[in-house]
Amino acid sequence: MIFRAVEDADLITRVRHGDVEAFNLLVSRWEKRVFNYLLRLTGKHEDSLDLTQDVFLKAYQNIRKLDDTARFGPWLYRIAHNEAYSQFRKRKPEVGLEDTTWFEREPAPGVAPDLAMAVNAALDRLTPEQREAVVLKVYEGFKFDEMAEILDCPVSTIKSRLYTALDLMKTELAPGSGRGFR
Amino acid sequence: MSICSRAEDLRDYAFDELAAGDRLSMEQHLGGCGECAGELDRLRVTTAALRALPDREIPRRIAFVSDKVFAPSRWSRFLSPVWGFASACVMAAALIVFAYHRPVEIRTLVSAAPQQTAAAPADITNQVNEAVAKAVSQVRAEDAKSTKVLLETMNRNHQREQQTLMEAVKVMQNRVNTSTLLASLDRRQPGAGQ
Repeated sequence: MIFRAVEDADLITRVRHGDVEAFNLLVSRWEKRVFNYLLRLTGKHEDSLDLTQDVFLKAYQNIRKLDDTARFGPWLYRIAHNEAYSQFRKRKPEVGLEDTTWFEREPAPGVAPDLAMAVNAALDRLTPEQREAVVLKVYEGFKFDEMAEILDCPVSTIKSRLYTALDLMKTELAPGSGRGFR
Repeated sequence: MSICSRAEDLRDYAFDELAAGDRLSMEQHLGGCGECAGELDRLRVTTAALRALPDREIPRRIAFVSDKVFAPSRWSRFLSPVWGFASACVMAAALIVFAYHRPVEIRTLVSAAPQQTAAAPADITNQVNEAVAKAVSQVRAEDAKSTKVLLETMNRNHQREQQTLMEAVKVMQNRVNTSTLLASLDRRQPGAGQ
């Protein structure tokens, strides 16, 4: 993990010296994660792909503004978060991420339909803020301080959103001790 | 919902957010707290169910194919006025060269014109001179004619005025004669009126 971070930092240094291929390498490392983050946020395939492209374009244009190259991941996700919310505000100012329906998504390949449906239903009941906290923690594996940086709010708020969400989902996905989806 | 006082630490522990010392303490606690152990189990089942939904493959890869398209570096920003000045110099030089070459063509055309005139036949000049002389004589003749008409008109007017004056003088003389005659008659017959 540390080695990977150093490699990213090295690539960023090369990008800052005009090496476009170094940026392409950075993109290839992060594009799938950013795309899935946006897909879980928006629930829409095409929108997520367009947003992913916008995110990397912005990152490319602003990479000189990144103070700490070791924090590239949170910085990139911060851009992705802003882009997603900016798009929602632009398209329908009165409609936000809460109108995203998780059932619109295609069924995940290789996953039991019942499990996929139960997980999607559980995620669908969350507020957008709770859902994003779950996505960043459970799917993307960010630390609380990184999540605070991405979402621009205190760690205590992040924890509150995440743990409330888990309490809600736990009743459906793991109703009793030792039980759950097999 | 757990009622154990370490429920918050348990969740941090489940997400590997506890410091090393607290982590060891939590592991010891879990050994004796069935409630926290059960809660940890449920948290792990929940997160495992969530992670069962795999990441999707990105439909198409993103790549930047342009060359070094970047915001200008410090050197670029520093040099940009120099390049701007250099561009202005090149434009000025181009204008000077253009302005130098352009009049040469005009001079050539201008200098070519007298040669063509000199090369014209002499009879054309004579014809022109004759035409000019004819035009001048015509103008002079017209001027003489109009002058003559004007003088005649003036003479006629002058004679008419003289005639009018003579008639007026005659009338005045007649009036004087008549009054003189009447006065002499009055002197000759002093009591004729009494």
